[in-house]
Amino acid sequence: MTLALLLLALGTFLLRFLPWRGEKSLKTGQAGPALVVALFLVSAFSPPPSSEWVRAALALLGTYLGLRLTGNLGVAVFLGAGLYGLLGALGF
Amino acid sequence: MGEGLRAAWPIALGYFPVAVAFGALGAQAGLGYLWIQLTSLLVFAGASQFALVGLLAQGVPPLLAASLGLLLNLRHAFYGPALRPYLKGGPLEAFFLTDEVFALALRTLPGLSPEKRRGYFLGLALGAYLSWNLGTALGALGAKGLLAWPRLGEALAFALPALFLLLALPHLRNPAALLAGGMALGFHLLGQTAWGLFLAGVVGLLWKEPWKGRKA
Repeated sequence: MTLALLLLALGTFLLRFLPWRGEKSLKTGQAGPALVVALFLVSAFSPPPSSEWVRAALALLGTYLGLRLTGNLGVAVFLGAGLYGLLGALGF
Repeated sequence: MGEGLRAAWPIALGYFPVAVAFGALGAQAGLGYLWIQLTSLLVFAGASQFALVGLLAQGVPPLLAASLGLLLNLRHAFYGPALRPYLKGGPLEAFFLTDEVFALALRTLPGLSPEKRRGYFLGLALGAYLSWNLGTALGALGAKGLLAWPRLGEALAFALPALFLLLALPHLRNPAALLAGGMALGFHLLGQTAWGLFLAGVVGLLWKEPWKGRKA
């Protein structure tokens, strides 16, 4: 079991390190933006589509408005998380 | 480094409850505290850690469980090359390269002077790492009740999608990002999240046409 842990740790490290090391620039196209948008969508919307999506969408709207009003990423995230919890407490 | 550490708090906020849940899951599966903590200390990749522990608890052979965990992390191979224009990757930087650290670094590093970037990145990474490991320790030691307060755990965990939204905003008119994101969401809804994210990276990698969008 410990061997499995070490294998996962080493493999994960190599997946992160090997493509990044060295000086030679690799053309990555739009990989960065593509992955950021993909990470957002899969983290916000759990399968299957459900009423939970409405709650998530409202909380995300609150997050966006929080950024517009305060200009602070951390505060906006905090507001979004708080709104998500509040909506859950209200039965959404 | 201090600036990066301060900027890490939205990640830390989101990581904490997830890490508590991971620690608690490991303890429920009968794994020892040291082993659970070592997983967070050495792997530092949430989804694959959950997969490893969950599969081991179901009796899956350890090497197969580790291999499946690695498959979940394939997308990480795209992160370093996307950051390379802004930061050279050494072993230390690579160790900390989670989804959230990558996304926040991709947004902030271009706006920093080159000499500040490494310190900022390591501060960001350290904040995330400390939160992940503190949460793991508390969960493994039986502090799951910390999150029993109504809605607290799920509200804190929602910090991560909220953060990803703000990081994705500048890219929401980028056709490559929209195509890749739509594909990843489709796979996610079919229960194949890891493959969806990997394919999103491939689509982005193959999309050579630059996009000149405005910053949100």
